[in-house]
Amino acid sequence: MSFIHELAQGLQASSVGVALAESAYAFPLIEALHLIGLSVSVGLIFLIDLRLIGVFLKNVPVTDLLHQLRPLVLGGFALIFLSGTLLFWSEAATIITSPALPFKFLFIAIGGVNALYFELKLAKQRPVIENQPVLPANVRYAGIASLFSWSVVIIAGRLIPYLPS
Amino acid sequence: MSTVEVLTALQNSVLGHAIGKSDHLVGATAQIFHVLGFVILLASVVLINLRLAGVALTAQSIPQFTRDPSRLIWVGLASAVISGILMFVSAPLLYFANPAFITKIWLLLAAVIVQVTLYRHVISRDSVNPWLNRASIVFSLFLWFGVGVTGRAIGYI
Repeated sequence: MSFIHELAQGLQASSVGVALAESAYAFPLIEALHLIGLSVSVGLIFLIDLRLIGVFLKNVPVTDLLHQLRPLVLGGFALIFLSGTLLFWSEAATIITSPALPFKFLFIAIGGVNALYFELKLAKQRPVIENQPVLPANVRYAGIASLFSWSVVIIAGRLIPYLPS
Repeated sequence: MSTVEVLTALQNSVLGHAIGKSDHLVGATAQIFHVLGFVILLASVVLINLRLAGVALTAQSIPQFTRDPSRLIWVGLASAVISGILMFVSAPLLYFANPAFITKIWLLLAAVIVQVTLYRHVISRDSVNPWLNRASIVFSLFLWFGVGVTGRAIGYI
């Protein structure tokens, strides 16, 4: 663990880390980009989840939502990942001590695995492809799991500054 | 009564004191509802604008498609505004002196006005003047995302 701490301190003390932390505009600007990426990617995933659960846009085929929103969802994720890396870079030594951080990473992984399982397995079921009015229960469960895990990611992320070590 | 007097009274009110003196996790909970509500709102705005721009999900007519997401905008806004008021009440004088906060409130007012006038008009019919359509896309994206960006800046200015 001390190795990780040293690494984090080194990262924060590097020229990029210091430049980000000391700039009056860089940090809030990158925070803003993080929020925009989040709203586009996780926000659209939330809406897709609500569709899978069956409470939103019932007349729109699930496959249409999945395929047509995918570029934006992935683009948003690229933006969050980039801005998140920069935010981490400038505050690594502090952030790493927050117990909310491992939770956030854990639930990003759970949300990611759930999405992969859905794409590779559940979305290939006949009722989904054929856009039948009643979708299998496992599709609904995947929607609930996704809604839950990405919510935890946002909650844990927001708690990072509130839960120091 | 001047604005500052009103705000001071608000800060000294029972609610203001209760929130201001509560555990910092109460503030964090309000922040969470603020962010989650805003994420839902912005995603709904993006979804509707994609349809208005004709770049995605064009199988349904505009009024048919936009009914659910335009409702969700109000759900997200309600969550953000209620939690926002609780955050504001705990330190109104501080927020009122913050230029990012003032900008955010003006942008929010403008966004809501555009939402209930121009936007409501555009999403309630199948085809409108293309310039009106474009204007509503540009205005709603600029104003709603502007609210988010200036809101995020409050803590740093």
